[in-house]
Amino acid sequence: MLIQVILILAVLGVLFVVVRSSGAVYVQASKRIGLLLFALGSVYAVLRPDDLTALARLVGVGRGTDLLLYALVVAFMAGMFSMYQRFRHVDRRYTELARTVAIREAELVNRERGLHIVPAVTVGTEPERVEERGR
Amino acid sequence: MSRNDGVWVVIPVFNEAPVLEEVVTDVLAVFPNVVCVDDGSRDGSVEAVLRTGAHLVRHPVNLGQGAALQTGLTYARSRPGAAYFVTFDADGQHRLDDAVRMVELARSGAADLVLGTRFAGDCADVPLRKRLVLRAAVLLSPAGRRLGLTDAHNGLRVLTRPVADDLDITMNGMAHASEIVSYLARSRWRVREVPVSIRYTEYSRAKGQSLLNGVNILFDLSVRQRGS
Repeated sequence: MLIQVILILAVLGVLFVVVRSSGAVYVQASKRIGLLLFALGSVYAVLRPDDLTALARLVGVGRGTDLLLYALVVAFMAGMFSMYQRFRHVDRRYTELARTVAIREAELVNRERGLHIVPAVTVGTEPERVEERGR
Repeated sequence: MSRNDGVWVVIPVFNEAPVLEEVVTDVLAVFPNVVCVDDGSRDGSVEAVLRTGAHLVRHPVNLGQGAALQTGLTYARSRPGAAYFVTFDADGQHRLDDAVRMVELARSGAADLVLGTRFAGDCADVPLRKRLVLRAAVLLSPAGRRLGLTDAHNGLRVLTRPVADDLDITMNGMAHASEIVSYLARSRWRVREVPVSIRYTEYSRAKGQSLLNGVNILFDLSVRQRGS
């Protein structure tokens, strides 16, 4: 059935984008375009359910609602991975912050304990190198 | 001035109070510079470090072993005169004379980075289950195979200054070992393995990694953002 091919390709496509993405601008843009298209498609499907059913028949699915469900599953997966990446990004900044705080405090504590014979050359960590990404 | 003044030993600590003081004291007897990175321990680990002459860095929250290693390296990097960096496990499984031999090798200039391996020679002392898990980790790591490494997950490493300056561990959890290996495979550093032996005590055995955690590691590594 055509739908099986489409769905498998869509799932593999999502996985590929997730694993290979470098946070490039086009990935961001295509995510947004995808979201927009999905929203427009949903509105259209609500207004003209028969068209959706016709489309579903065309790709070998019984009802339009089933097609919508399949699309939803793929979109959900893509959304989950996107969230996961976003989370990783935030996690990284959070780590940098905690590390800087920890080292700054340690400089003081260890100096008080008499462990610094020579004053430290630099304090804290280098600024984060993660490039700024739009929301 | 001792010969090991330029050597900094980084020990990530997470709830290791029962053995920590003894381990740190032993290390301090050989290497005068030790930094313990406490990763939010809730037992007496912090007090144990404070009783010794080791530097202490405390993460305000638990971040993971990879993050603790990176914090220790960052801290040690900014100490004056630091030239060699040793990563050492807090549970007492590593032997100091192995660390000394590895530092000597790094000092000879034959390698930019020296890794300990449990599998170079006789590995009868490694429990079978552990052996299988670690072997699988090496086989599943294309980077490790390219470098011809036999043990990707040994906590005992010696880094020279250029490597320590360049390395940036982003895998906060246990995936950092694999991350380091794939970093090495991409870099031009000369890597050498040195056979080391591990003391599998009841204590360290109970703290070991499970096979299931390998699944988490693989997932984290494959889904991370490239180049970030």
